[in-house]
Amino acid sequence: MKTLIRFLALAGVLALALLLAVVAGDYGPWYFAWLVGTTMIILIAAAGAVLLEAQASASERDVDF
Amino acid sequence: MIDATVVELSRMQFALTALYHFLFVPLTLGMTVMLAAMETVYFITGKPIYKEMTQFWGKLFGINFAIGVATGLTMEFEFGTNWSMYSHFVGDVFGTPLAIEGLMAFFLESTFVGLMFFGWDRLSRPAHLAVTYLVALGSNLSALWILVANGFMQDPVGAHFDPDTMRMEFSSFTDLVFSEDAQAKFVHTSIAGFVCAAMFIMGISAYYLLRRQHREFAARSFRMAALVGLVASLAVITLGDALGRADYLLQAPKIAAMEGIWETTKPPYEPWKIVALPDDAAQRDVFSFGLPYVLTPLVTHSFDKPIPGILALENDVKPRIVRGIGAVLALHAYATTKDKAALAAFRQNENDMGYGLLAQRFAPDQDLAKITEADLPKVLDLTARETIPNVFVEFWSFRIMVAFGFAFLAVFAFGAYYSLKNQLERHPFLLRLTTWSIPLPVLATEFGWITAENGRQPWTVFGWLPTFQSASSHALGYMLFSLTGFALLYSSFIAAELYLMFKFARLGPQGRPGHTPTQPGPALAGAPGYADKPWQ
Repeated sequence: MKTLIRFLALAGVLALALLLAVVAGDYGPWYFAWLVGTTMIILIAAAGAVLLEAQASASERDVDF
Repeated sequence: MIDATVVELSRMQFALTALYHFLFVPLTLGMTVMLAAMETVYFITGKPIYKEMTQFWGKLFGINFAIGVATGLTMEFEFGTNWSMYSHFVGDVFGTPLAIEGLMAFFLESTFVGLMFFGWDRLSRPAHLAVTYLVALGSNLSALWILVANGFMQDPVGAHFDPDTMRMEFSSFTDLVFSEDAQAKFVHTSIAGFVCAAMFIMGISAYYLLRRQHREFAARSFRMAALVGLVASLAVITLGDALGRADYLLQAPKIAAMEGIWETTKPPYEPWKIVALPDDAAQRDVFSFGLPYVLTPLVTHSFDKPIPGILALENDVKPRIVRGIGAVLALHAYATTKDKAALAAFRQNENDMGYGLLAQRFAPDQDLAKITEADLPKVLDLTARETIPNVFVEFWSFRIMVAFGFAFLAVFAFGAYYSLKNQLERHPFLLRLTTWSIPLPVLATEFGWITAENGRQPWTVFGWLPTFQSASSHALGYMLFSLTGFALLYSSFIAAELYLMFKFARLGPQGRPGHTPTQPGPALAGAPGYADKPWQ
């Protein structure tokens, strides 16, 4: 039951995102660009941090070995 | 009679409060997004250092947010106190996005800011992350609505003038929200805020790295900020071009002033002026130096379209001024007699009414009915010249903003490159440059705002309501008193902000200089550039 509710909630979020993308894409292309671009900026920053952790771990391994 | 000095003082007061307020806004917009990114990494990796980063940068965001809200409050009231004619004329349209902005700022944003600060031990990790994202969304949505309102002032779509109520009324809320100007302005301004926050975080992190304090904390903060800054500065340049394109299509005098175009251009050779000394009085450049073949594609996105020059624009606007004078006179007649013929005469030229209102300033006794055949050429000349914003201010504020924008791109590019290679501490010059660059993006946004607002002059609502007709009729003494009061009050806000920012930035993440996190992520001591020895 919990899985079903989670699935339905995520499906709802997906439907909302698609609706937003269609409406914003049609009427407000720059607004849509902002939504996509800001999400991308956050993900790039997060990826950079995760990469730093990987670099640091690799560096520690190199020292150990 | 409208007192020109009172109007100028009202303008000065609004410019002062807006520019002061805008010192805080971009940082708020960008910091919330940076916090969302940091907490996302905390959520994904579970490493406490990212929680510490979110909390520390969140504290600096909180200081900026509180003072930013305080400076913004007075501006909402200023529309009523100092710009009552404007408020009456467009209150129906302008008030709606302004009210939504207030709701976003004080209900959505402020509520979630409280939850973000005090909810660390009370909310689950997913819930707190959602709250931080809602703070980011709320702050940017708040900016969206004020920029929608500003978009209406630049390009008044979604409304019409009602001669019975003597004000502009809504035709389409959708047109207002999705106007080309509002869209381009929102994305440009919001992303410029990301640049400000990225430089702020990078600069303070660079300060720590230079002093070899909080290095694990600073290296991670620097990395994330450099990447945000790099992408954001690329985007802000691209979006600036989109906004310039909107101005080219909607506000010809602004683009002509921005580029210092006196004569209509001859494509494709026309140079883009890198430097020039525009002389507004003589309507020419004292000198100029530019890059050939750049201006036409830059502004028109083509190689063959000429850009109207200021002299041609002044000439072309004269028939609109004549029709505008007719529209205003017909409106006066309709207001007095409710005569259908007067209404029909007004309807014929209503789209030029603003130019008639603008001409009123130069009419004998500011009364259009008193313009004689002999006066008309002089009134037309003066009014036509009035339609052009101050070229010197527009030209240089735009260029300073653009120069800063490209300089930031270079700083972020080098910062991101050396951060990704873990070689930051080998480049102390870059770290020092980054630290000294902290205030520059905020300064660039101020010049951007001057470009946008000076370029809209002489209008409060472009083509419809002149600034000269928009102000309240206060006494000179009242204006001088309130202007001085605002300058002192807002300067004290700035002093408080700077004191608190310096104090908490120097103290560092755990409230004492030189702290090393007790539970860091993987140590960087073995990583190139972070070894515990002098510059590598």
